[in-house]
Amino acid sequence: MRERSDAELVIRARSGHTESFGELVRRYQQPAFSIALSVIGRHQDAEDAVQESFMVALQRLEDCRNPDRFAGWFLTIVRNRSRNLIRRESLRSGDPIPASASNAGPNPEKAASLAELRESLQEALKKLSEVQREIVLLHDLEGWKHSEIADRLGMPSGTVRSHLHFARKALRVELSGWRDHVTAS
Amino acid sequence: MENEKRIGLLRVLDPAHECPGYWERFRAEIMERAAFELARRRDLARESVELVLSGWSRSLIPAALAAAVIAAIMVGSEAVRDPGPDASLVLEDVLASDFSDEVLETAITGEAHASPVAFMAFVEGNRP
Repeated sequence: MRERSDAELVIRARSGHTESFGELVRRYQQPAFSIALSVIGRHQDAEDAVQESFMVALQRLEDCRNPDRFAGWFLTIVRNRSRNLIRRESLRSGDPIPASASNAGPNPEKAASLAELRESLQEALKKLSEVQREIVLLHDLEGWKHSEIADRLGMPSGTVRSHLHFARKALRVELSGWRDHVTAS
Repeated sequence: MENEKRIGLLRVLDPAHECPGYWERFRAEIMERAAFELARRRDLARESVELVLSGWSRSLIPAALAAAVIAAIMVGSEAVRDPGPDASLVLEDVLASDFSDEVLETAITGEAHASPVAFMAFVEGNRP
């Protein structure tokens, strides 16, 4: 069956079509999480920001004047909600691992090691600019192409490549100690 | 190779890395929260369709009635103004134009009126 375009899904979702909105959520929940994580830096808050963003987007679907550009419009909402969340609350100092994942680890040693790795990654990512974090996560974690990122974040493809290059270079330095860990695991 | 290693590291940031089915559950939570707004939108869309239809019926039915009344009036007035020729009278006038009143009276009231053949024979016999 032909995959519906974002525009078709947006138009149907405006009339309350549950499956269409569900498909938009399926397509953009992970990229949205990457954006939120790149702004906030903490899993639990990033989840909240993404959930809120989907609710806001649903309520304001009529404001998306060009449904073909839903991705860019929606990711802007995610970014703004994430920034608002930072401003509104002093971030919790608890465990950055999502609650749902707390007992999912194969064994305590490995879970601790993963938590440590996650913390190091987040520290490394903090040293990048927000746009670099977004781009490196969308590219390397979500698998988006340069052209997709450029289109959806509204910037030239060359700028995306440049940000990605510098972000990777910085991460390579920051995460040099973890390479062996990845190879071993 | 370097990039692959780094991408492997970044995977740790994906909540589904340790928790399979994470994104399905996450989506289900969002859909649960969205249910009310989606239902509101469905109601709104249904009401909009009903409004459009009732709007049409409100304007179309009176318009159709008005058109019917106007058409009836026009047909009526046309009939009064110009009743049109009565085909049978015209034909009779044409047929009888050459004959005297006397001949015609005999043709209509006499034996010649009994059948078309007798009538035609009488008329032809008396043509001036």
